[in-house]
Amino acid sequence: MARIRFEGVGKNYPNGFVALENLNLDIADKEFLVLLGPSGCGKSTTLNMIAGLEDVTEGNLFFDNDVMNTVPPHKRDVSMVFQSYALYPNKTVYENIAFGLRMRKHPKDEIDKRVRDAARRLEIEPLLERRPDQLSGGQRQRVALGRAIVRQPSVFLMDEPLSNLDATLRISMRAEIKQLHQVMQTTFVYVTHDQAEALTLADRIVVMRSGVVQQIGKPDDIYERPRNMFVASFLGNPPINFMDGTLEVEGDRVLFRRGALALALPPHIADRVAGQAGRAVVLGIRAEDVASHSGALREDGLQGRILSVLPVGSDQFLEVEVEGTRLFFRVGKEGQYKEGENATLKVNLNRLHLFDKQDSQSLVW
Amino acid sequence: MKIPHFGRRALLFAASMLFAIYVLAPIAWLVSSSFQSEAEITSVPPHWIPEQPTLENFTTIFTAKDKVVTYENRREGDTATGGFIPSTAKNLLPSMLNSLIVAVAVVILNLLVSVPAAYALAKIRFIGRSSSIYFMLTTRVIPDIALVVPFFLFVQKLGLLDSKLSLIITYLAITVPFSTFILTGYFESLPDDLDKAARVDGCSRLQTLMLVYLPLAMPSLVAVVLFTFLTSWNEFLLALMFTQTLASQTMPIVVASFTSDFNISFSFINAAGVLAIVPPVVVAIMFERYIVSGLTAGAVKG
Repeated sequence: MARIRFEGVGKNYPNGFVALENLNLDIADKEFLVLLGPSGCGKSTTLNMIAGLEDVTEGNLFFDNDVMNTVPPHKRDVSMVFQSYALYPNKTVYENIAFGLRMRKHPKDEIDKRVRDAARRLEIEPLLERRPDQLSGGQRQRVALGRAIVRQPSVFLMDEPLSNLDATLRISMRAEIKQLHQVMQTTFVYVTHDQAEALTLADRIVVMRSGVVQQIGKPDDIYERPRNMFVASFLGNPPINFMDGTLEVEGDRVLFRRGALALALPPHIADRVAGQAGRAVVLGIRAEDVASHSGALREDGLQGRILSVLPVGSDQFLEVEVEGTRLFFRVGKEGQYKEGENATLKVNLNRLHLFDKQDSQSLVW
Repeated sequence: MKIPHFGRRALLFAASMLFAIYVLAPIAWLVSSSFQSEAEITSVPPHWIPEQPTLENFTTIFTAKDKVVTYENRREGDTATGGFIPSTAKNLLPSMLNSLIVAVAVVILNLLVSVPAAYALAKIRFIGRSSSIYFMLTTRVIPDIALVVPFFLFVQKLGLLDSKLSLIITYLAITVPFSTFILTGYFESLPDDLDKAARVDGCSRLQTLMLVYLPLAMPSLVAVVLFTFLTSWNEFLLALMFTQTLASQTMPIVVASFTSDFNISFSFINAAGVLAIVPPVVVAIMFERYIVSGLTAGAVKG
């Protein structure tokens, strides 16, 4: 049982570097929380603070109702999986998994039982007597998971655990971690820079940048209603397209205008920016929010010259130049596109995003 | 294709042989001549293999008694008689014991200080961390001779002249910075994540060091042990300044004193030299298997 609470937590280094700024975050018991962001955004710092591996220099960190700021890691009920696996190279797999239990002075037969249970669950039983250097990357990662689950901690921390694995293994391990969370019924905090991992695994995602939280929310919320351009651009593959332009009011309609291009904004956006004609804005169109179209456009689509067509098996990626901006779209395979020709694409207007040009914040929030 | 390859190997072989001879010839001569009589040792050309091997030099060392040179026995002081032994010969074995005590004490105390220091410098971020590493290094660029006078005054004021403790203290001052530097470099090369993993697994800092890092640091520990042992065992200058009697005199001092008699017995000095290299060789052999196993353990990265 552990609820983790950050209250105004900051991390400043003596040289003036601020790794984390005023973090307020409440992680519910048994939640799967993913910290997502580019490297150096403070997500690993946050994780290390929960583990007790880094000092909290500002604010308070609570486990349930206890302030944990100065409690050393070995007195916290957490376990952790590292990107580098961090297995003890001189110990066998068995000893690696048993080490945490030995340090906590569990009786021998209980240790043996728990180690074998964990090994069975992770299907590494035949490897117990090997040393880490005799294992493949995937096997090492399983051992690292075993070492963490065997302690049955109340908080389970993972620092980019899948980043060193190859692509196929990564996807199958993702599913296993998700399953592990359901079986173990504990709080998981998971750090990654991989948006796909975050979207698959998380109950909630915290998007961070330069030590500052950008948005906290359910995966769908983060994807559908990004709070600013950074969040919008960090999720999605290929990434969201941005286009500078201005607002134009026509009667009760609000249009996004860039040169010859005009797109009618949906009511939920139009309401927010009504009467702001001429305001400089940035429009966001997700790569998948277009469809092939034939016939005339009525402020619900765009036209541009195709710069390249990249088939990717299930879909194809189009690079289109529209009003001097290069946009990337993902469209179905059935559409016939050729480089150098013109493409007409209908835009799913309801899924447009609109941001302020100055501070890059969403105008819908 | 094959010939240049062969030529390269032959060249390498010849070069290694040359180097081996360069290193080993003096030792071979030392060992060989320690089994020769004074007459044979001075013969021209020298004998690499003793023609009349004798253990006399060694038995003399182990049975040396008090000996006062008087008018009556001074003829024995003629090396040509073969009966000459240095007046301080009986000091050799006790001084070797002194050397051993000092060296072992320095090795142990050195590890007790430098291992935790190196771990802290390598794995704990604190203000002044890198400057303290450089500061320690700078203490090693000062030649020992420049420190002799301050060291002497320091030892004298503490009333430690002619005591083994004076040597232990000063040798530690010489060896600890270097050992710490070597170990810091090695600990830094071990992944930080191991430190984190161990601490999350329930180790205190000290347990992390003892249970996780030390087993992995064997090669560098062995290097440090050998370095410290040899430094203490061979040190001459400071020992010459601080020691006066057998209460503290170390082996190099006593061997050096063999040359300050009326005459010099080379065969005897060489026998003493052979005894002097025995302990370091024993230490090296003792740790040899750790060097090998330690190296393989270190090669494995988590």
